[in-house]
Amino acid sequence: MRRRRVPALAALLLAAFLALAPGASAQREPPPGAPVQVGPALAAELGQPRIAVDTSFTGADLLVFGATDRLLGPAGDNVVVVGLGPPRDVTVRRRIKRLGIWVNGPAARFREVPDYYALAATAPVAGLLEEAARRERRLGLDMLAARLPGSRDPAFRSALIDLKRASNQWNEEEDMVEVSGGRLFHARLPLPSTIAPGDYMVQVLLVRANRIIARQELSFRVDRVGATARIAEAARYQPLLYGLACIALAALAGWMGSVIFRRS
Amino acid sequence: MPVYLPIAEMSVDALLLLGIGLGVGWLSGLFGVGGGFLLTPLLILIGIPAPVAVASGANQTLGASVSGLIAQWRRGNVDVRMGAVLLVAGLVGSAAGTQFFVLLRRLGQVDLAVSLFYVVVLGTVGALMVRESLRAILRRRRALPARTHQHSWLHGLPFKMRFRKSRLYISIIPPALVGFGIGILSAIMGVGGGFMLVPAMIYLLGMPTMTTIGTSLLQVTFVSANVTLLQALQTGSVDIVLTLLLLTGGVAGAQFGAAMGTKLRGEETRALLGLLVLAVAAGLLVDLLQTPSHLYLIGPAT
Repeated sequence: MRRRRVPALAALLLAAFLALAPGASAQREPPPGAPVQVGPALAAELGQPRIAVDTSFTGADLLVFGATDRLLGPAGDNVVVVGLGPPRDVTVRRRIKRLGIWVNGPAARFREVPDYYALAATAPVAGLLEEAARRERRLGLDMLAARLPGSRDPAFRSALIDLKRASNQWNEEEDMVEVSGGRLFHARLPLPSTIAPGDYMVQVLLVRANRIIARQELSFRVDRVGATARIAEAARYQPLLYGLACIALAALAGWMGSVIFRRS
Repeated sequence: MPVYLPIAEMSVDALLLLGIGLGVGWLSGLFGVGGGFLLTPLLILIGIPAPVAVASGANQTLGASVSGLIAQWRRGNVDVRMGAVLLVAGLVGSAAGTQFFVLLRRLGQVDLAVSLFYVVVLGTVGALMVRESLRAILRRRRALPARTHQHSWLHGLPFKMRFRKSRLYISIIPPALVGFGIGILSAIMGVGGGFMLVPAMIYLLGMPTMTTIGTSLLQVTFVSANVTLLQALQTGSVDIVLTLLLLTGGVAGAQFGAAMGTKLRGEETRALLGLLVLAVAAGLLVDLLQTPSHLYLIGPAT
């Protein structure tokens, strides 16, 4: 349901990128002594810088694409793509049985929990990088959860992962980063319909011999547009007018119904 | 046909919402209740966040009640004077109930308190209604003459008022107390209170079933308008797209329900409503007792 075809525009962009790629790699030669990370060993781009949430929004796929200077594949380099949503504080509660009925029991609070998380790579990330590096870059839901500030109780941490996965807001390595022509790669990050508006970040990492040798950060926004945006803004900034409008509209709908369906 | 709800921030099938609206609206017209006690749990069940479900449920109840109210008004079943007494007392009661709700929240376990309230109140009201209406049906079968309304200590109270539509001449103290008590309960349970009001009017005030339905719809309409406004101001969780979709199905259902209600006898209507209320209470009780499928819950940090 949440899958949607990537717009033709993105495909065009990919084609344009293909044409430009040789030029980009021609300028690559890093000056001697410069750090390897800043060289254009990796160039990546997003299919759309903005996801528009309108009344027909059912989720979307964000296209991440790019090229590398060396061959990708089992014998060569690998690409890892991570998508991160805006941070938010959340509480996880456990239900317990008291006097025969289930009540909300102990709670654990986690700070700066990314609203959205997606991970994709050309090969399983666990085999590409050491645990320390994965932990630092938050590659994998276990690594992400381990680094969250808040309760240290492992049961609550794994519950947080399960709940976020169940709501499609967090996912890891569901789809691979696909490679074509040896040096072009693309990945689709699934955005669920419950995605929150805000600023999102996509990190593209180039891994060679168990080390991250290049990194690129891209950002995109999720925005409400059209009627969806106007309703959300009215509810937030004009609550009195919005409340009165809701009452009037509901009453009007009720009255219209009694006129239309009048059975005499 | 998916549609994105701007306040709930999620995509839901529009046909599902239309269907839920139709079913709840039909019950609303048939029994003269807003249906909030049924709608809110249903919305939560399909994944709408609880605050949005409560606030939009109140807003939908308003529309459905207006529709049912107009239908009942045309049949001359609304006792405006009784409705006004109940409403004023109800608004005072819901203000008091809101304070009690704030107190419960401070003590924690507001979810538990609301669930227990639902089970106890719905269970009691439902059981009483079923028992009484079955007796009335049995009495009719045996062709015994129905007892006329008996005089009790209620009729010795001062401030008597004539309620012409309901053919009553009683003190305004009992209706005011009924309105106040239901105002408190409806603020805590987040419902219009029609399912409690209808039996209270019949058994406590001795009103005829015909006028109770129209009159309770009058009260429910204004109480739900009040709740909608308060929710929009305090929590901002009224989703107008959700409301209008529910109403589109709901207004149609309410008209059919009202037309069908006139064909049913009073006792039968009451027995059916009683069974429905009991069923919801039983469902909520099972939820409290059964091992939940998810032992953990997630929510915004408090």
